[in-house]
Amino acid sequence: MKTFAYFSLIFVLFGFTSCIEIIDDITIKNDGSGTLKYSINLSSNKVKINSILALDSLEGKKVPTIAEIEAEIISFKNKLNAKTGISQVVIDYNFTDFIFKIQLDFASVTALQTAIKEVIQEVSKEKNIPDLEHNWLSWDGTKIVRSIPDITTSRVKELKTEDIELLKTGNYTSISRFERMVEKFDNPSATLSKNKLAVMIRTNPYSLSQNSNILQNTIYLSPIKN
Amino acid sequence: MKFYSFVFCLFLGNLVFAQQSEDLIPKDAVTVFSINNISLLQKISMDDLVRYEFMEEVQQELFDGSTSGKTLKDSGIDFNQKLNVFYGRGDAYEVSGFTFGIKNKEELFQVFDDFEKIESTYPNVEFYSSYFNNLIIRGNSALLIRVEPTMEKVDEVTDSIWYARGNEDPWTMYDYEEEMESDSAYQEILEEEIFEEMEEEDKPVSSYDFPDADEDPNQKNYYELRDSVQVQMQMGFLKTLCDELLVKKISLADFDPRFAKQLTHASEGIFYLDNSRNLEKAKGLWYFQTMFPSLYDDLKNLYSENILLGDLVLKENSVEFLMEAHYGEELGSIYEKMNDSKFDKNILKYIHNDNTAYFTYNIDLREAYEQAYKIIMPILTDERNAQMSANVLTIELLNEFLNKDALFGTYKGSLFGTFNGIKKIKTKKIIFTYDEEFNYIEEETEAEEDMPIFTLGFTTDRGDIPEKVLKHLSRLTSRFENKGNYWVYENAILESAPLYMINKNGLFIFTNDQDLAINHANGYGKEALSKKDSKKSKKSGFVYGMIDWAQTIERFPRDFFNAEQNSIIDAMRGKTGTMELTSSKTTAEKTNFKLVYNFEGIYDNSGKYLLDLLNSVYVISK
Repeated sequence: MKTFAYFSLIFVLFGFTSCIEIIDDITIKNDGSGTLKYSINLSSNKVKINSILALDSLEGKKVPTIAEIEAEIISFKNKLNAKTGISQVVIDYNFTDFIFKIQLDFASVTALQTAIKEVIQEVSKEKNIPDLEHNWLSWDGTKIVRSIPDITTSRVKELKTEDIELLKTGNYTSISRFERMVEKFDNPSATLSKNKLAVMIRTNPYSLSQNSNILQNTIYLSPIKN
Repeated sequence: MKFYSFVFCLFLGNLVFAQQSEDLIPKDAVTVFSINNISLLQKISMDDLVRYEFMEEVQQELFDGSTSGKTLKDSGIDFNQKLNVFYGRGDAYEVSGFTFGIKNKEELFQVFDDFEKIESTYPNVEFYSSYFNNLIIRGNSALLIRVEPTMEKVDEVTDSIWYARGNEDPWTMYDYEEEMESDSAYQEILEEEIFEEMEEEDKPVSSYDFPDADEDPNQKNYYELRDSVQVQMQMGFLKTLCDELLVKKISLADFDPRFAKQLTHASEGIFYLDNSRNLEKAKGLWYFQTMFPSLYDDLKNLYSENILLGDLVLKENSVEFLMEAHYGEELGSIYEKMNDSKFDKNILKYIHNDNTAYFTYNIDLREAYEQAYKIIMPILTDERNAQMSANVLTIELLNEFLNKDALFGTYKGSLFGTFNGIKKIKTKKIIFTYDEEFNYIEEETEAEEDMPIFTLGFTTDRGDIPEKVLKHLSRLTSRFENKGNYWVYENAILESAPLYMINKNGLFIFTNDQDLAINHANGYGKEALSKKDSKKSKKSGFVYGMIDWAQTIERFPRDFFNAEQNSIIDAMRGKTGTMELTSSKTTAEKTNFKLVYNFEGIYDNSGKYLLDLLNSVYVISK
């Protein structure tokens, strides 16, 4: 899931430097299985994206057509669906507002991480991606530990001041949902839902790039009632 | 008295015998750009020139790294003569190259160190060769030339010899489909095995086998034959060209007095483009040449005298390009009618005095159509060909049945365009809103994005016709809406921004400028173009254009360019001025154009300014 964040950040930093909204929403059931929902909202950049899509190439690289992007999305979905422990993969996209949503069920957080790492490795031209060695989720039945790889800080330093300002206008929302109540969590930026079944942290791509620990959180759940 | 006679003879001798670089431009040259070094060097000294960073690369390229520390000054080139770059394409061959003066031959051959001297059959002319390039030196001038036969001609001659020798079609010797269908991996293994088993002397030099002419190894295959034909033709064409230039002494200046006259100009550079000869060689017209030879001849006549002559003038605070577009009588009569149009003052109301760039284009399409019909139809009618007769009949019937008043009343031909920089425009975006359980829903809200603001309008006497079209479209889709003073087409631009249409004051205007549509549908009033600027536009011939580089650069949308491009744009800030294009009244013989680039700031001269700009861009992009 955090790998999605990683790729989205690269997308933000080097593709569309202005406002972007990302929601990563994970639901973990008591048995460790669950659902991941990941949404990327680029509707604030419609003009720019459409103007880029109207080009044949940009900075010497071919600009894909909408049909090619759709084909890539379908291929990504099929690859994910074929992975052990992953099911019900649904990708919803619209090229009018440029909103992309992915939803999938997983048997365990380990299966989820393995599947995502394998698919990214398959679609990536790079053979060894060091960031994929990082485990961003761990679950022992009573608590979940979430983190993010430290990959963006150095790249952000290369950006111009005005581009950095634009990064600050984006949103990154991380939501963790459970079947039982949250007892406590250790990230002071996080907030607890009214029903105490969900924890949310909101930040912007710039802050995230400056401090990858900003989303790090350990969430402790109440004991299972027999 | 004897002294005066001596001086007179010396002067006369110089006139008669002194060869200049321009005398070596072959008459096959169709395009020539000639730099008057003497004039240019008075403005930019050679010492200044070699100091620029970009010159380091030019010099390295020139000296091939073999003579480090050398500069252009040490190249042996005589900078008191013109440097002429030329290109031309004939029926059978292409020529390209340049001519220049020589000051020091020894130094020159440090630059042209890969050229070898070959025997010259021309008196007082030296020949040097390097692959396909030839360096021809006569007196103190040199011609570096490359003559290449066109591939069509090479193929034609090769095919002719190939078949005359009794060979079969070289292109059907392989069954490509069968080859593709066969198992390529198996094929490769088999070939490797055969290769391994072969005796060493039997192994082919290349792994790729060309089609053989026959079993006789002394007989050339098709590709070898084509190479030989190409080399022979190259030598033959070079000889023809040299005979004409060096024996008959016919250069381009002798062949075309208009070019000779242009050479006498004292400007820093001159330009020559013979469009009539370009038409003759245009590849796309082969069909006409083959199918309608007499029509092709008539078209050639129509384009005779079609030539573009230009001058580059460097002034203290400006760079000027002066161009003369010449044409023959018949084509000229069409242009004359087309460009003799009354300026539509209404368009000036819609150009804001603070705009960044704009143009006006003022023509009468109806007059141009009538004149073209009068000139071209007899040419088409003369062609005795069934297909052409059917086309002529179609055109004549259309001419009779079409309502030309409505057609040319709707689009008269005059138009204008403006660029008003970048503005924030209203768009829609989706945001996610959350409830207290962190469930979220999508909501559409208003947003703003940067967009270049353009306006394009044309004059019309029949505003009712586009109005009919818009009314019909609005019945088909709700995206078209009549707002009273203007029409709006939602999400027309990049699926995000609206396009506004104003149909007023004898103009039909397309714009993405909301302010113009909502607040200035009848024009900008006092905010419109100043009287002084309006006068310039009205005074110009059929076209006028103005770009304020300073404003354009300032208003460039940074988001649309990458970091490197933005650095170049930044470098150009402060080195900017205005660019203005004007045209004269069009006569049956010619139209004059003038492009003036004025710049502000303190510079020694315009040449220095241009070099500074070029150097800035080079340093940043390096």
